[in-house]
Amino acid sequence: MRLALAGLVAIPLLAQQPAASPTPSTEPVVTGSIDLGYRFTSIGGDNDVYRSVVNLGQGPRLIGLDFSITDPRKRLFDRLDVRANNWGGDPYNTVTVNAAKQGIYDFHFDYRDVAYFNLLPSFADPLLGTGIVLDENSYFTRRRMSDFELDLRPGHRIIPYLAYGRDSGQGTGITTFVSDVNQYPVADRMFDKTDNFRGGVRLEFSQWHATLEQGGTTLRDDQEAYAGGFGAGNNPQPYFGQTLDLTSLAQSYGVRGDSIYTKALFTANPFSWLDAYGQFLYSRPQTNVNYSQYNAGSFVLLSSLLFYTGEQALGYTTAKQPHTAGNFGFEVRPLKRVRVRESWSTDRLHTSAAGLLTDVILQPPSAAQTTPAALTGMLVMNYSQEQVDVLVDATPRLTLRGGYRYAWGDAETPGALVFGGGTQSSELRQQAGIAGITFRATQKLSFNVDFEGAATDHAYFRTSLYNYQKMRARARYQLASKLSLQAGFTLLNNQNPTPGINYDFLSRQNSLSAVWTPSKRVSVLGEYTRSTLRSNIGYLEPEFLSPEVSLYRDDAHSASALVDLALPAYNKLTPHLAFGGSLFISSGSRPSTFYQPLARLLVPLHRNVAWKSEYRYYGYGETFYLYEGFRAHILQTGVTLSR
Amino acid sequence: MPSKLAPALFLLCWAAGAQTTPAAPAASSAASPSASYVGSETCQPCHEDIYNAFQKNPHKVVDTQKRRGWEARACESCHGPGGKHAESAEAAAIVNPAKLAPADADRACLKCHLNQPTHIGRIESSHAKNEVACTACHSIHRHGPNGLVARRAAAVNEQCASCHTAVWAQFQRPYRHRLPEGAMSCVDCHNPHGSILHASGRAYAANEAGCFRCHGNLRGPFTFEHAPVRLEGCGACHEPHGSANPRMLARAEVRYLCLECHANLPTAPGPVKNPPALGGVPPAFHDLFLPQFQNCTVCHLKVHGSYVSQELLK
Repeated sequence: MRLALAGLVAIPLLAQQPAASPTPSTEPVVTGSIDLGYRFTSIGGDNDVYRSVVNLGQGPRLIGLDFSITDPRKRLFDRLDVRANNWGGDPYNTVTVNAAKQGIYDFHFDYRDVAYFNLLPSFADPLLGTGIVLDENSYFTRRRMSDFELDLRPGHRIIPYLAYGRDSGQGTGITTFVSDVNQYPVADRMFDKTDNFRGGVRLEFSQWHATLEQGGTTLRDDQEAYAGGFGAGNNPQPYFGQTLDLTSLAQSYGVRGDSIYTKALFTANPFSWLDAYGQFLYSRPQTNVNYSQYNAGSFVLLSSLLFYTGEQALGYTTAKQPHTAGNFGFEVRPLKRVRVRESWSTDRLHTSAAGLLTDVILQPPSAAQTTPAALTGMLVMNYSQEQVDVLVDATPRLTLRGGYRYAWGDAETPGALVFGGGTQSSELRQQAGIAGITFRATQKLSFNVDFEGAATDHAYFRTSLYNYQKMRARARYQLASKLSLQAGFTLLNNQNPTPGINYDFLSRQNSLSAVWTPSKRVSVLGEYTRSTLRSNIGYLEPEFLSPEVSLYRDDAHSASALVDLALPAYNKLTPHLAFGGSLFISSGSRPSTFYQPLARLLVPLHRNVAWKSEYRYYGYGETFYLYEGFRAHILQTGVTLSR
Repeated sequence: MPSKLAPALFLLCWAAGAQTTPAAPAASSAASPSASYVGSETCQPCHEDIYNAFQKNPHKVVDTQKRRGWEARACESCHGPGGKHAESAEAAAIVNPAKLAPADADRACLKCHLNQPTHIGRIESSHAKNEVACTACHSIHRHGPNGLVARRAAAVNEQCASCHTAVWAQFQRPYRHRLPEGAMSCVDCHNPHGSILHASGRAYAANEAGCFRCHGNLRGPFTFEHAPVRLEGCGACHEPHGSANPRMLARAEVRYLCLECHANLPTAPGPVKNPPALGGVPPAFHDLFLPQFQNCTVCHLKVHGSYVSQELLK
């Protein structure tokens, strides 16, 4: 990939050579820019948390590359666009290529390489109280995603297309090996890869359109957890006088999966007053899994209070999940001011799985036993909804909307193991009223309000939407030609009064933003959002099954601003200074602060060359987890070459 | 009887009444029968910048392709007949879609784009319901890689954030998808034209949650599914825009998130129909005062679903 990128970088640079052709008007025209620079970093505090949140490193970088080639002779393409960002060691690398030749093809390629590092002691460290800082759910992985899409004969009535995508991830981490009474942090390796192939044809006519697509995916997912040497685990206390430990582990998953899927879409407007649409979507993913595990140490089998020192497990499972979804709807305009939208949709899936897991206790010989266990899993979901909306243009400036939605369905899941398994089935019944107003008082002032309220007599989960109200309001006002304001408000209030649940959830966001350009040399952009969240829900304290209330609160302030100043010009070149940044301050159940101020300076050195520098500060702190804070100063400087 | 019919007749007349704003271009010729088409070349002298940019714009095909019915009249395909405007040079003498009501402005776009795949979800999308016109995101005349619509991740995010301010504020939280860094954009996960999924979420492999495009290893199907993943989607536990939790969970601590669901009253063994809520009863040996039990995912590793363990332990 890096070689390919080097090639891409070379193209515009080579193309910047003076054109030798005597007929430049027929030669490809290259325009674009390239940003090269160096980043300096200075990090204080917890470096692991810095890497989990920011993860920008020091060194030379290809900050950005953006060029277009237009070919007046339209040989291979009419236009080629290439963009690349953050290459040279950054955790987010992207490349996008678009090429098109009118009426012949349209090609798109997208590549991303994203590094994820996550090691937060506060997340999963049962040993933190003993001074051991080790997140037992940490990982360092890279995900690479490539997508190719090719449309043939774009703009014609019949458009075949092909696409291929690959998503892969690999890395290492720390996970746990779980046995009865104790768990042991162990190293793990992971690799997964999904290939997605699809092709189809779009038929686009003046009064109707249909798209038919057939696709398939393949999945490979390999996971390995391993350990060598003594491990006391999270529970070093002796159990019935016996210390439980792990001395050796080899655990692996080999998952192979595939899926076919089918898409059929249509739209039609047989009459000027009727638009109809519908889609049918079907997929059938399946997985086949080989599992193996060998562990040695000192363990206990709780069900028979059997102590043993060596164990092996082998398993094979297969699972299928036919999944069908579809919708159908139409908009009818019986009168000039009235639009009626009716839609119906459904989503149905059924997972069925079977397998065998054989557990063999190898050592000591006196405890040797083989326990085969049949594994069966299932999950059924059937969901449907019907909705009707009526939009009325009461006046040319005022649109009113009212509607009704009914959602219903059922689900069946395995029952709780502690009560003997079996199955649980549940129903969903929900009726929602919908209303909205769009008011364009003038070109400079507009309001939009959207409301939905629902009553439910049965939902699937304790925290599902039950009796709820959702609201969103937004206003825009251009106060003066140089100042525009926008305000927004969103609300979700969800109540489930069922005894034993008593769920009370309320979240609100208020936001205000302004764009002010007092002169051609100054622009100011500012945003502020206040969000609050309140959640109370009853639960049973697990050990004694006594009723308790879980409280969660979040009260957050977010603000961002950017001031851009055009500095005095010299030699017809105008330097720019920008400064601002963002901040996040929250209080409540997990109070934290995150400051990201920045300043940028752009100094043109020549018509096609500019010197660019940027300073950023990242400051992160958590009141309850002071050890997770960090401060980072980052200075990036470089040049931009453009033509 | 006539007196009873009068209000109904009034309402009917009002609903059917002609609008006072200029109608969609398709209808504008009917509204102005004397107007005539003059061709795109006529527009050039006064609107040279727009004309020149338009020559490199994808909409240029309207000017060049016969089958679209607007050959050499691309400007008037959206703005309506320009004869009067060319004579008087008055702004009021021609349709300006940017000043029309969104539904009318959209009709100009939908003359060509109605029967295309994007229309599948358009009617049901919240953008259409809230009267957000196509031109709110698409610049019809501009050219270049970001001309017709923003393409760079940072530009897309900036455009979406200009309306969805509160959502963008969530991305200022420490644990979020990498949008502020420009590694992702809003349209990677959302289809602004609408979708069959909740919140205009993009679908993957026809009808599955778009999250699986990047998180393919969590797609399954698993022998033992974690039911909320299938029944309510990833959003049942995760705040994908940003969270105070390192795994973008909807609660700051994982145990509180789990216990909100896993706290049913005990039910009888065997098949159960319509319990107060689905979700297992918490096993009684979990002492939440011990740090060992405060991090549920230390033991229940395969929380998205497991191939071999019904308790999602491995």
